[in-house]
Amino acid sequence: MAALLAAGAARADAPLGLPSGGYREMQPGRPGGTLRVSVATDIGALDPHALSATNVQWIGRLLFDNLVYLDEQGLPAPWLATSWTISPDGKTYTFSLRDDVTFSDGAKFNAEAVLINMEHMRAPATKSPLAGTYIQPYASGRVVDEYTFEATLHAPYSPFLYVLAQSWLAMESPKVIKERPLSLNAHPIGSGPFILKNYTPQLGMIFIRRPDYNWSPPVTGHKGPAYLDRLEFEFVPDASVRYYSLASGEYDFTIDLPPQAGAAALANPALTVTNRVRMGCPNRAIAFNVAAPPFDDIRVRRAAGLAMDRNGIAQIAGFGLYRPIANFLSETTPFYDASASGALAYDPGQAKALLEEAGWTGRDAEGYRTKAGTRLAASVAIAVGVTSIPVIAEIQSDLRRVGFDLQLEALPTGMLLQQRTSGQYQAMSGGVWHTNTPDALYINYHGSQIPTFHLGGQNTSRLNDPVLNALLERARETTDTAALAALYAQAQARLIELVPAVPLYDNQSLIAFGSQVRGVIYDTSHETPHFETIWLQESTA
Amino acid sequence: MSGRYRHLFWRLGAGALVLWGTVTLIFLAINLTPGDPAITLLGGPDALPTPAILHQVRAEYGFDQPLHVQYVHYLGRLLRGNLGISYRLHQPVAVLIAGQIGATAMLAVSAMAVGVVLALVVALATAKRAPWLTSLFAGIEVTLSSVPSFITGLILLLGFSFNLHLFPSSSTRGWTANILPTITLALPIAAVLAQVLRRELEDILEQPFILTARTRGLSEAGVRLGHALRHALVPALTIAGIMFAGLLSSAVVVETVFNRQGLGRMMADATTNRDVPLVLGIALLATAINILVNIAIDLINAVIDPRTERS
Repeated sequence: MAALLAAGAARADAPLGLPSGGYREMQPGRPGGTLRVSVATDIGALDPHALSATNVQWIGRLLFDNLVYLDEQGLPAPWLATSWTISPDGKTYTFSLRDDVTFSDGAKFNAEAVLINMEHMRAPATKSPLAGTYIQPYASGRVVDEYTFEATLHAPYSPFLYVLAQSWLAMESPKVIKERPLSLNAHPIGSGPFILKNYTPQLGMIFIRRPDYNWSPPVTGHKGPAYLDRLEFEFVPDASVRYYSLASGEYDFTIDLPPQAGAAALANPALTVTNRVRMGCPNRAIAFNVAAPPFDDIRVRRAAGLAMDRNGIAQIAGFGLYRPIANFLSETTPFYDASASGALAYDPGQAKALLEEAGWTGRDAEGYRTKAGTRLAASVAIAVGVTSIPVIAEIQSDLRRVGFDLQLEALPTGMLLQQRTSGQYQAMSGGVWHTNTPDALYINYHGSQIPTFHLGGQNTSRLNDPVLNALLERARETTDTAALAALYAQAQARLIELVPAVPLYDNQSLIAFGSQVRGVIYDTSHETPHFETIWLQESTA
Repeated sequence: MSGRYRHLFWRLGAGALVLWGTVTLIFLAINLTPGDPAITLLGGPDALPTPAILHQVRAEYGFDQPLHVQYVHYLGRLLRGNLGISYRLHQPVAVLIAGQIGATAMLAVSAMAVGVVLALVVALATAKRAPWLTSLFAGIEVTLSSVPSFITGLILLLGFSFNLHLFPSSSTRGWTANILPTITLALPIAAVLAQVLRRELEDILEQPFILTARTRGLSEAGVRLGHALRHALVPALTIAGIMFAGLLSSAVVVETVFNRQGLGRMMADATTNRDVPLVLGIALLATAINILVNIAIDLINAVIDPRTERS
């Protein structure tokens, strides 16, 4: 591991170091040219308000702009809204808007456009899986004057400005939303630096520069239109083809470098690899159901967490490119608290002691712990084809070493969803939750977010802890930075005590590109590349 | 002649029954496996819908209705030619299939043509020749027909695209990008057909009427092309038809490896994402193609060898 770190450190972005900066254009680039990019998966539909797909993170920045952007510290900063005020009760947000922005169909960006977009996000007909939920506290909007928009919330909601910076909550042409909203899935119209020229499902997308674009987020430091004339994205689902076609020069850039090709890409002098850590909840391979035995015993949960060899698991999952992490928020998330992170470090000795303390003192013929003749065992429901089997198998063998029998129950996604709403499981494969605010903790662990038939919640740990609930609710109610820092620090510490799941490794965006590609900067919300600053060095050949 | 039409009518009727059975089975298979279609439609485990949106989806798609009501509605829509709207792509299934079928059909037809020509050439050239030659080709054929097409495809890509740079790896780079996927699909077809054709040819070349033809002074090529081939074609054609109808499943792999558009890839995506209307639509189409290809083979065989119609 140390050797790998040392080898990586020689490159611009160390594979396991926490990348910092890279959000701002350092020097102007050369206009012109076509960038060819490979992407792992097709997106299918293109109305960001109606999607939860990961690809929206960077596609959104090509086609659309948002009201708000985050600054380099991860705090809300101007974009289409030049400034805002929040009423003392935290319920009324008044935005002053730019007056020089147009959509590519000629429609004007103004307060009316914002109102129409907010209504589109939450309209049941849009069937929004994400944007609508992120603005759920939004009660009503009002056009104060042409360039002043006022949003009123049901209750104070401090993540409001942050989520408005995410690509899923981008501003679309009000004209199209009003006249033919379904067409946004095939022909999205925004005010962004590029225009979609052609989208061929399963094959790719072609974007062309919008020459009159001049409203990049001030944080990027970019002025005027994008440098590239044209962007050609192609969907290349096969991981090995995606690497070899990049290495052979068929593509200039890949958005989805497969981790298994990471070592080859790092060793290839013609390629630059960057590895960015997304905000939100890092990967937790397993969420314990705290409402059912054996994980209703906090000592069993903590013991299971201490028994997991995080470095080994991260190595298996990311082939050396994923960063192990033992905190409930990733380090890049605002109000991440480093002091909470040591408590869940790998310690099989302490895991055994905790299990003894919890009464699991006997041993059966196979070496598993027992209590009153019952074996210490649990089954984890995993999704066929989605959950990484090697990772779960590694956890299984780690737990076996402390005498815990973890059984895998592989289910089709539909059955997994059924179990999730019924609560009939002992543990479930976890995953990540990416959002650009520490409110990710509310989504994953607040008692109101337990999935039911009527709510597609993400709290699969079924945790309902009054102390944590209160901390997360109070954090939603205040926008005071010092208060937020204190509340989120306490929430992270509380989660480390409760261990509803075990954070293992970061949620990372891995990209690679050829040496002709310059000016790559990253989105402050999603850590994905921002294409309007990218330019191509003239080939010397 | 009227007998042939009556036969065709019955075959079509039976085909319609098979289609109805397919639709019913898939409908049941999808709806009887546990799972929440509303959450699936909204994006699966990663969706975070509000209660209002979940309610809207359940009402709009009729998920809150009893299963038999959903089934009757579904059949009714199908009979009116409405395949529904894709859950994930938010577009009519018929439009989506129409947009992809051309690419897959072109790939299937060209792979079939290359496969048949290759098989004919190899079988005609190697039937009843020196044992080492026949064994060599038989060995190659067994290998090619048993290697999965994603392996063949990757080997061809590594060799001809990434190393020799002869062909592009992605279908968006001009017509030469069609060559490797066509070969990938054609090789197993050629391998199986060549085996069948050779065996038939070797049987036929032993027949007395071949001896008669030879004694009339016909050249070897004339004997093989003019007399033996026609008789060897019927079983080969039947197998070719079945393989053609099965190309959709090979297309799933080839379209993915070679980054091509097509029904196969759309089917794979739809299945992974539990896009029920799209899966049903493509399954319906695949069943219809199978039925039609089988009927067509019957008709063509009857023309090539009129004896088959009487039997």
